[in-house]
Amino acid sequence: MIRTTDLRKVYQMGDVQVKALDGIDLTIDKGEFVGIMGPSGSGKSTLLHMLGLLDQPTDGQIWLDGVAVNKLTDYEKTMFRLYKLGYVFQDYALVPELTVSENVSLPAMLRLDRNEEEIARSTTEILERIGIADRCCHLQKELSGGQQQRVAIARAIVNKPDILFADEPCANLDTENSRMVLGLFREINDEMNQTIVMVSHEEWHKEYFHRIIKLRDGKIIDYGK
Amino acid sequence: MGKKELKVSLFLAWRSLKRGSRSSALLTILIIGMCFTNMIFLPALFSGIGQGITKQIVDYEIGNVLVSPQSGNQYVTDLDATLDLINGMPGVERATPHFSKGATLKYRQRILGASIRAIRPTDEKYISPLYSKIIAGSYLGEGDTGEIIIGKTVAGDSSVREEDEFQASLGGVRVGDSVTIEYGNGFTRDYRVKGIYETGWNSADSTGYVTWTDMEQVEGKTLDKADYITVKVKPGYSEKFVKDMLQSYGVSPRVQTTADLLSKGMGRVLQSFAIINMVSLIVSIIITTIVLFIVITIKTINSRKQIGIMKAIGVDKEVIMHNYGFQVIILAVFGILLGAAITSILAVYMTYNPIVTPEWSATLYLTPMDLLMNSLILFAAAIVAGYVPAYQVSREDIQTAMRA
Ligand SMILES: Nc1ncnc2c1ncn2[C@@H]1O[C@H](COP(=O)(O)OP(=O)(O)OP(=O)(O)O)[C@@H](O)[C@H]1O
Ligand SMILES: [Mg+2]
Repeated sequence: MIRTTDLRKVYQMGDVQVKALDGIDLTIDKGEFVGIMGPSGSGKSTLLHMLGLLDQPTDGQIWLDGVAVNKLTDYEKTMFRLYKLGYVFQDYALVPELTVSENVSLPAMLRLDRNEEEIARSTTEILERIGIADRCCHLQKELSGGQQQRVAIARAIVNKPDILFADEPCANLDTENSRMVLGLFREINDEMNQTIVMVSHEEWHKEYFHRIIKLRDGKIIDYGK
Repeated sequence: MGKKELKVSLFLAWRSLKRGSRSSALLTILIIGMCFTNMIFLPALFSGIGQGITKQIVDYEIGNVLVSPQSGNQYVTDLDATLDLINGMPGVERATPHFSKGATLKYRQRILGASIRAIRPTDEKYISPLYSKIIAGSYLGEGDTGEIIIGKTVAGDSSVREEDEFQASLGGVRVGDSVTIEYGNGFTRDYRVKGIYETGWNSADSTGYVTWTDMEQVEGKTLDKADYITVKVKPGYSEKFVKDMLQSYGVSPRVQTTADLLSKGMGRVLQSFAIINMVSLIVSIIITTIVLFIVITIKTINSRKQIGIMKAIGVDKEVIMHNYGFQVIILAVFGILLGAAITSILAVYMTYNPIVTPEWSATLYLTPMDLLMNSLILFAAAIVAGYVPAYQVSREDIQTAMRA
């Protein structure tokens, strides 16, 4: 599902070169729930951004579902993200002027293979699934952090993406809500064979992952296999 | 850019306006409305003034075509024959002469210099609505002698003290009063005031009219000459046509249409109006453009992170650009509607309450075409102002935007 060869990202800070990613070779199979861990500044977010087509690597190749994504144009990448990828961010990242169900529907609304009926149905389904159907008409500011993150997850999976990326989705949540989010990931991974790549630095999250990839200084120090 | 994308842009724009800051949206609409009003008010007022002045000049001074004396002559001579000739021409409704004489008017303690105009009351009715502007008493009858009608400015108001008057008057003459007039040639006579009129045209209101017959007695001989002849053109004929006819008949080489006269005297005035209009138009457009530019720039800067996130989840940059574009379009449409409503209300109000000064009175002269043109101009400015920042922010790369 995901394969990279010699992936590099170098940030130029004045005279200094920061090697955020320093030759990453990895493979992640379909249906895997992979945790990416490592100390702060080790390149976890950077790696996730590269894999999720949110940033451009300095060097190296990425294949997603057999597609060499570096070669895609800007627009093709946008469409790739829309049709095949889902994201959950640390700070929920909802659109404040949209209600819960509008937020969840937004990515589906842009897809040509979805009509309004399907969007409405899948939105209701997913909201029920994650237990916030009763909040469907509320705005972001009327929700708790845990509820907001659940909405963000609903938005990420409503299109049934091939890969779900999550960058420290529990960083702003208490233990109880973190467990709820991780449990939810676990469920969709089990039930829908959803590939999930999640960045975390909490030791206790380990129990949820199939595999843990450890980074340090932009290099993989443990493939977890 | 498909239909679906545009629909999502519109959806996002509408939600953003509806659920975003209400006061900022309303203020923006108000500013656009005011700019629109500002853009259209002065030009409409000026063209209202221009139209008002033109109408009064036509009504009380020159009719449609003015026949002046041949150069070197003080008067149009051989009057009766000339009038007959003109009245017989195609396209001429009626021609009538004016003859003015400087005089001193005395009433009780007041003395006032004025020019007295001799007219032919019946013919004058074809040329001028003067007969319908009588506010007290009645209009002159053919052959009246020793009777005069005077303008309201000349008659004055007894409740205003002499030193407080804006324009000197006889201090409150009423119909039936006697006014003594001494003409420049020494002829003096007591006139009974037959009527008082108010036209709103200052030079008419600060004079008095007597009949041609009366003036002949003042002159002591038949009056076969005039200062000028005013000619009313029949409906369906152009002023130019009548002018050309008059010249080809050799009536007088000095024949001018309203348009000729206005292009000289009024032309200068209208030209300065046009400059003021242009300045007010440009200023309004610049203000609107800047305001919308600032509003949208602030909006986009505040939502850079959000824009980054939307792009991350697969929302195309065009959708994001049109989202802000539509917001501007919606604000501009409401602003323009508000402006059109304000100007229309002002126009209606001023029809009933015109601005009146001694020199002119003005209503707003506003055509649907003016409204449309100004709407389009403002709309175009709004789109430019909105799409520039929207374009810029939508091109920003995801990482930079999301870190904002
Ligand atoms: N835009 C950038 N410009 C310059 N340097 C950057 C940029 N983004 C990341 N870096 C650097 O790249 C390295 C990896 O950063 P990254 O954000 O991937 O770390 P991380 O593992 O996610 O850390 P954390 O656990 O704190 O989130 C760091 O040294 C960081 O300073
Ligand atoms: Mg990070």
